[in-house]
Amino acid sequence: MDARDGIAWELRGIRKTFGPIVANDNVSLVLRHGQIHGLVGENGSGKSTLIKTLCGAHRPDSGAILREGVPVHVDNPFIARSLGIATVFQEFSLVPHLTVAENIHLGRWPGPFFSLGWRSMRDAATRVLDSLNIAISPDAVVRDLSAAEQQLVEIAKAMATNANVIILDEPTTALGAREADHLHGLLKRMRDAGTAILYISHRLDEVVRLVDVVTVMRNGRVVGVAGETSLDLSAIITLMIGREVHEHYLKTHTEPGEALLEARDIATDRGVRGVSLTLRRGEVLGLGGVLGSGRTEIARALFGADPLTRGEILLRGKPIHLRSPGDAIAAGIALLTENRKTDGLFFNFNGTENISVANFKDIDRGFWLDLRRERAASREFIGKLQVTPEAEAQLVDRLSGGNQQKLLVARWLYTGADVFIFDEPTQGIDVGTKVAIYRLIDEITAAGNGVLLISSEDRELLAMSDRVAVVRRGQIVRIAKASELSKADLLGNAELGTAAA
Amino acid sequence: MKRWLSSPLTGPVVATIVVALLVMSTTNRFLVGGNLNNLALQVSIVALLAIGSTAVIFIGGIDLSPGSMIALLTMILASCLKFWGVGFWPAILITLVLGAGIGALNGFITAYGRIPAFITTLAGLSAYRGIAFMFNNGSPVFDASTQLEPLFYGHVLGIPLPFFYIVAFFAAAHWLMRHMRLGRAIYAVGGNANAARLSGVNVKRTQLYAFVVAGFMTAVGAVLMAARLNSGSPNYGTGLELQAIAAAVIGGASLSGGRGDIRASLFGALTITIVQNGLNLNAVPTSTQNVVIGIIIVLAVGIDMWRDELSRIALFARLRGATARNDVNREGEQK
Repeated sequence: MDARDGIAWELRGIRKTFGPIVANDNVSLVLRHGQIHGLVGENGSGKSTLIKTLCGAHRPDSGAILREGVPVHVDNPFIARSLGIATVFQEFSLVPHLTVAENIHLGRWPGPFFSLGWRSMRDAATRVLDSLNIAISPDAVVRDLSAAEQQLVEIAKAMATNANVIILDEPTTALGAREADHLHGLLKRMRDAGTAILYISHRLDEVVRLVDVVTVMRNGRVVGVAGETSLDLSAIITLMIGREVHEHYLKTHTEPGEALLEARDIATDRGVRGVSLTLRRGEVLGLGGVLGSGRTEIARALFGADPLTRGEILLRGKPIHLRSPGDAIAAGIALLTENRKTDGLFFNFNGTENISVANFKDIDRGFWLDLRRERAASREFIGKLQVTPEAEAQLVDRLSGGNQQKLLVARWLYTGADVFIFDEPTQGIDVGTKVAIYRLIDEITAAGNGVLLISSEDRELLAMSDRVAVVRRGQIVRIAKASELSKADLLGNAELGTAAA
Repeated sequence: MKRWLSSPLTGPVVATIVVALLVMSTTNRFLVGGNLNNLALQVSIVALLAIGSTAVIFIGGIDLSPGSMIALLTMILASCLKFWGVGFWPAILITLVLGAGIGALNGFITAYGRIPAFITTLAGLSAYRGIAFMFNNGSPVFDASTQLEPLFYGHVLGIPLPFFYIVAFFAAAHWLMRHMRLGRAIYAVGGNANAARLSGVNVKRTQLYAFVVAGFMTAVGAVLMAARLNSGSPNYGTGLELQAIAAAVIGGASLSGGRGDIRASLFGALTITIVQNGLNLNAVPTSTQNVVIGIIIVLAVGIDMWRDELSRIALFARLRGATARNDVNREGEQK
């Protein structure tokens, strides 16, 4: 292909600063028709700034944006949309109680002002869904769809604007492996139909599989562009973090000790249907399975967040009755939730307050809180986990995803728990933080505590766990040593569902 | 300087000073000892109610019932003193405990009955005034007790007593919110109730306690109201709940919960009262006063909401003047 050929969009020498911080420094990027372009980099490397520049949310200080070779101004998101730029962000932007057709046309109702134009809306939605080969009814209510289906509707919504480039920011975060594959199939079809696609993801293995070209960013600059021939995972990681990483996953095998947490045939109304498992001291027990298989619900049951309808939980050999998460925390159980934003962080709190909130008993002196003790403790963990020092006194919404996640980990370390349930602990965070969390899991088990690890990244799950329990429909269908399992086992078992717990 | 700028108190304090200066520019009767004395008396009830309203707003709720509770509690207090032969201090105590109890009822229905605070307290707004009318055949109780008025009109060291109530209760409220576990839990629940529960905070109990604080502060307001007029009446307190909410909102409390400084509500109450006082001094009719208060509420919240935009506009105007636009931009414009 000729170098000038088929260029849909080009960013040339983009520079963007926020006060003293240079977010983008001389960044160039070429998006071609019929090509999937990967964009990777750690949190804070400038990816988000670049995307926001392209879709009109930021104005660059200098540099040019060219559409098919012609410089254009993308001064605001409306102009971006009218120029054919469609963006699918991490968080779903669908309205849950409206239908698929209504969502696809949200804000662009085809009718005159006194009517939404129901029929033409429905017809147009059907055309879009058909053209993308998405088998979802335009009349389905979004709330009833799975996360994966919602993601597809999100893409249909983006494409309904006649986009010539579609930007996807972490589209598979909420998806399981099979669903991600389905999405990738769709993206490949769109590529073959000539759409330019910019794909941002932290899941590097999927980037390697999917994209045609990958641009790697670090500290606001482009540090490498890899073409089709040289997409090598370790090379990309090296570029991203700027040093060789020999061991991506750190795992020291500790000889498991006595039983720490035991579940005997537990069930809840939220979809745990008779689960028995034993987590031993010094052990990482992985929970594998596809999205929606009930892993998070098992975690919630063990944490007292959902009441048990049957079965019992034993902690250190003694039966324990958990009426609330407060009981679980007091008993020494910690749950790092899957969703940082909705179930973890307090955006009205600074880092210190976010850390101490689960451990008031350490700072409560009756009529006052020991704020000095609180500050000292948070400083200790902020240092230990290498969170940015600004986090101590700053509201957490301004921190990167990696720093936010570290603060939540610090919250649980501070409680002094010995059972740690980590639900998708590395979701949506940069490689550096991932490695820090792997190291931490290793430290926890080395100290004789136990970790229950839930992860949709199969490689991570197999590498970090001692044993893995495969979950399907709220039940454990197989427990085996991680070394004896393959990725296919995680999926295959989950699919076949041989009821042998 | 920077710290001062980012303090949540700055906005409301500036608003208070600005309205005071505006009022002073229209009349020379504002900054007079008698008027300031009057002002302290006027602001006290709204300011004390605002403590409770703010606590409920912090947990992400809203309390519409204080106005009606005041009617009910003044009736009970006045009846205790005049008809039922209850001693003076026991009657005050009964009123305060009853107030906290009604607050607990509001909180219990909201937290454990899972009925939105707006609905619960809207029901209370209707019901509590209804109950107030059941006492003394619905007639006011006048001349309740000679001991009552000094509670409101008394002076210590030449300073009116309500001033001391304001200082004491706001100091206590600030301590509760910033230095006690309950206050931290209130902010946590208002900020993210899901995360609070999963961090071991007892969310329902925290919500209940916030309403108990509100009920107690309403009872304090009711005692002062009864003392001010030496009477109880089922018609007292109408619309006071809205003034208390307005004070909280002008003070910067976010109605979505979790954000704000309880001390700022005092300045919110002051802002409203100074405006009313100034308009009164200028003989502006009540109808116009209500319109002005409405405009101030929107402006106060608006300036807070638009803070980012306003500073960006200011910054942009400066940058535009200072830097030439770059080549690329010019090239683009020619096309």
